[in-house]
Amino acid sequence: MAEPLLSVTDVVHAYGGVQAVNGCTFEVPEGVICGLIGPNGAGKTTLVDVVAGALHLQRGSVRYAGADVGGWPPDRLARAGLIRTFQLSREFRQLTVLENLLVAATGRIDESLVGALFRRRQIAVAERALVKEARGLLEIFGLDALRNDPAETLSGGQKRLLELARAVMAHPRLLLLDEPMAGINPALMGLLEAHIRRLNSEGITFLMVEHNLGVVDRMCEPVVVMAEGKALAVGSMADHRASDAVVTAYLGRGRPA
Amino acid sequence: MPHDLNYYLATLAVYFLIYCVLTLGLNITFGMAGIFDFSYITFMAIGAYFAGVAVLPPSNVPGLQWILGLNLGFPIDLLIGALAAGVFGLLIGLVAIRRIRSDYLAMVLVAVWTITWSVTSTTIGLFNGQQGLIGVPQPFEAQLGVNPNDYVFVFIPIAAAALAILFAIAYCVERSPFGRALRATREDQDVAAAFGKRTVRLRLTAMVIGCVYAGVAGALTIEFLSAMSPNAWAIIETVIIFSALIVGGRGNVFGAVLGALLVRILIIEGTGLLPTLPDHPELIGATRNILIGLLVIVVLYFRPQGVIPERRRRYFESRKPAADPSSEVTKGG
Repeated sequence: MAEPLLSVTDVVHAYGGVQAVNGCTFEVPEGVICGLIGPNGAGKTTLVDVVAGALHLQRGSVRYAGADVGGWPPDRLARAGLIRTFQLSREFRQLTVLENLLVAATGRIDESLVGALFRRRQIAVAERALVKEARGLLEIFGLDALRNDPAETLSGGQKRLLELARAVMAHPRLLLLDEPMAGINPALMGLLEAHIRRLNSEGITFLMVEHNLGVVDRMCEPVVVMAEGKALAVGSMADHRASDAVVTAYLGRGRPA
Repeated sequence: MPHDLNYYLATLAVYFLIYCVLTLGLNITFGMAGIFDFSYITFMAIGAYFAGVAVLPPSNVPGLQWILGLNLGFPIDLLIGALAAGVFGLLIGLVAIRRIRSDYLAMVLVAVWTITWSVTSTTIGLFNGQQGLIGVPQPFEAQLGVNPNDYVFVFIPIAAAALAILFAIAYCVERSPFGRALRATREDQDVAAAFGKRTVRLRLTAMVIGCVYAGVAGALTIEFLSAMSPNAWAIIETVIIFSALIVGGRGNVFGAVLGALLVRILIIEGTGLLPTLPDHPELIGATRNILIGLLVIVVLYFRPQGVIPERRRRYFESRKPAADPSSEVTKGG
């Protein structure tokens, strides 16, 4: 059997004395939309930060695309195709919407000082191709009319879309989404859902932290349930609803999830 | 025009050209990469001193001492000054930028100025201490044999040529993917790293470019004035260059030039024309600083991005949508 795209094994991360992630183990096979759910404080965002290299891996191991990536800095992981979004949108505020996408295309255009001075023609050619690709994405996400506006002027929902469009522009192999649906109206939620499904069918693997269980139910398989820093269970939402442990820890009793 | 006025205006032109080099360099370090380099003037001084000791002969008079003394000529001295400033900036950056971020970095860089300034002014054997370097020969002075009062006209093309090259480089950087990556790290280093940017390397490069610009400005200064002493690079000078850039518009090469014009020529030279009051010798300097402060406040209040803000670039689009009627319609809708 092929090695999973991402394997998290016994990962530990503590802030001072607080064990946010405490021996978490699960796998994400290539090609899935994997959900990551759990109560607040379960360690989901900390885990995403550790996998993306933003937080130090204190113990355990993270394997991605066949390599032991524990301790890799975030920029190296990004260049290897592991891209993440943030729980709160973090656009490059004073760059235009289009530039936010262009910046994400690391490795596909010469970003050196020498290039800026002496390879301007090659850069112009590469840039033309990138702009074409970026505008295609902006068109899909309904942001093309805003392409020349500073990203800070977008609305909250538009920033969410920009966040996803920018991540796609990076040509990810594995995309970590940290609560992509947070604070989003139902119509936009449906749109984001459709985008994520389409991108998944185009070959991107997702690991998605999400509190909206309806969305997780519709989109994610498998679903990892985290509680108290550990992966409590891995399976489909149907499995989880039948599991006493998961229901007690997160889903709650007495009402349909 | 009377010769005195010509001479005065020509001297102003040289000061302006040199100041543009300073603001253009800081525009890359601070305007584009967002590094609060509060030691900026230090690198101007390093460039000046090293260019000076590259031109001067070895010191042999007691009480008048400096290192090196290479007896070299222009433009090698300028390159040595720029290189020294760049290397010093790289060493500082390797320690500071790799380990410290934003606000603390600014504090550390203030400390860099303090230490460098104290060491330079108290160590006679380095660059002649508090008195500084004097009598540095001017470029082509000996070869041309011009009247000292006319020398400024020789120097204008030298300074203009240096500025032209550095302006062109700054212009290319601003419009390049490199510049875009710098601006992205300025906006958010974590996110830039999350998209694969080597943020430390980018910031370090921006810091060193700024230092090289400052070094060139320093070398030009000592070549023109024949002297450089610690009085010329008090910490306030860094603040004034920051003010010029903020007023003119950070992140924009034309903003940097405009800032140099407004602050260096209009305010600093303008206040220099005020009459001196016999009992208040400090008045001109104080007026100068108050006016700079007021200008910064006014600009930040009414035009926080500066008079010429950072360019919002359109990529491969016509500048004039009015020429195309269809885009005119979308513009309205």
